[in-house]
Amino acid sequence: MILRRLLPLPAVALGAAVLIFLLPRLAGGDPVRAVLRSRVAEAEPDPAVAARVSAELGLDRPLPEQFLRWLSDVLTGDLGLSYATRTPVAPQLLSAIGVSALLTAVALALAAAVGIPAGVHAARRPGGVVDRLVGVASVLGVAVPEFILAPVLVLLLAVAVPLLPALGWGGPAHVVLPAITLAAFPAALAAQVTRAETADVLGRPHVVLARAKGLRDGVVLWRHGARLALTAVTSLSGLFFAGLLSGAVVVEVVFAVPGLGRLLHDAVVGQDLPVLQAGLLAVVVVAVVASLVADAVQLALDPVARTAARA
Amino acid sequence: MPALVLVALAVLAVLPLDAVATDLTDRLAPPSAAHPLGTDHLGRDVLARLVGGLRISMGLTLVATAGCAVLGTAAGLLSGYAGGVAGGIVQRLVDVLVAVPTIIVGLIVAAVREPGTATVLIAVLVTGWTPFARLAHHLTVRERAREYVEGAVAIGAGPVRIAVRHVLPNALRPLVAHACLRFANVLLSIAGLSFLGLGVQPPTPEWGVMLAEGRQFLFAAPQLVLVPAVAVVGAATIITVLGRGLERRWSST
Repeated sequence: MILRRLLPLPAVALGAAVLIFLLPRLAGGDPVRAVLRSRVAEAEPDPAVAARVSAELGLDRPLPEQFLRWLSDVLTGDLGLSYATRTPVAPQLLSAIGVSALLTAVALALAAAVGIPAGVHAARRPGGVVDRLVGVASVLGVAVPEFILAPVLVLLLAVAVPLLPALGWGGPAHVVLPAITLAAFPAALAAQVTRAETADVLGRPHVVLARAKGLRDGVVLWRHGARLALTAVTSLSGLFFAGLLSGAVVVEVVFAVPGLGRLLHDAVVGQDLPVLQAGLLAVVVVAVVASLVADAVQLALDPVARTAARA
Repeated sequence: MPALVLVALAVLAVLPLDAVATDLTDRLAPPSAAHPLGTDHLGRDVLARLVGGLRISMGLTLVATAGCAVLGTAAGLLSGYAGGVAGGIVQRLVDVLVAVPTIIVGLIVAAVREPGTATVLIAVLVTGWTPFARLAHHLTVRERAREYVEGAVAIGAGPVRIAVRHVLPNALRPLVAHACLRFANVLLSIAGLSFLGLGVQPPTPEWGVMLAEGRQFLFAAPQLVLVPAVAVVGAATIITVLGRGLERRWSST
């Protein structure tokens, strides 16, 4: 099972790398001029200089050779110079990844802490008050996009009741609103999936046996019921990841958080292709790592998958 | 009920309102008789922009969803009916693209071209056809095992004719119901990309653009955000409920 999941990854990563490498060419710019633009402010470089730089950087070589060279540069941490700031991209990218990692970790922890217990408790009495409340809240969480939730939260918690800063990044207070906005979708998704799966598991024989043994309600619910349901949540990791990634772009732009999403957005708006390339590469790397981590968690939680993987 | 909503929407859509006329003497005005929903930062009538946005946002979403449905259904029919190498390639492509967020594709397309209406449409098409392909593949595999397909093969119909004339009509209803459910998703993607400045450009009255513009005046005139917000969520919810209803009705018969 692991092998089958792992096999397409290198192909996808290579495809993404080729696409990212080709971005400046697809965008129709002259790479030599672009490189010069990142070093000097002059709009029209001397043709002789252009030819020399072109030879120096190997831009007169065939494309596959350029690609391999670019790839080895990237792998050794050389991501080029930003067009906008004329400084190396790598440090900018690292600091942006750090910010996004913090924000996403807080949001994901919040989503798990709210969504999973909400789903489990809703499943205890299908059709009950808790179930209905969780149902409405989770539909809203999926239906209201970040670009609407963010200004509404700002309106409520920064304008009407001035508790929190409306934007910026610095202290712990700055994390709250972006994290809540980002957590809404994964929390709602987790609640829906957990509810459905737990309700299903609670009807199975092993749960009836656990109850008959006289185990406490909480133990039955969590050890025998919810544990199985959680594997369904982790199996949807791709959906969570895609939601968090697009959410992060919107949330970081709205709240002026200097993370990876905002880096990508600003690079597109400012036509800063080296920064965009580096940001997209980071997204691909994170996606591959996230998918591996999700598989590992799945194996840890689900004995059936573990047996299948060993066989 | 849905019919009433549609009639109301149709009436609104043909109302002669000017969504781009500015009046700088009357900016950020609260709701009044002349401007039932107030005016924005350039003195434009918010109701007129809301209705203009209805045409643009819904129109674009309709075009994009239809495009995704046609592309995805064709791909799903191919992979489900023909199978083989081509079918396998289509399915792997779906597996990969289905996990790629539309916003990321939007960023890439906007960098290669430039932000604009065509950019959003391309971004939505690149990722949006995949759920249709999955569903169409699944339905095709199910239908092709039926006896009428065997009958059609027996009387000498070619594979293209069977796929298009026999299998497709039988798979159409679930696909239409699915299109209603995807509509909401596409609407949010288009509004989101426009909100980020990658899609429809101001002064066009698109709901995502209105949200982005209104956000700068959140303190002075919160209705500039709340009006398009209610419009987007309301429209998405109505269409989703409609799609769920269709799905239920058609799956029971």
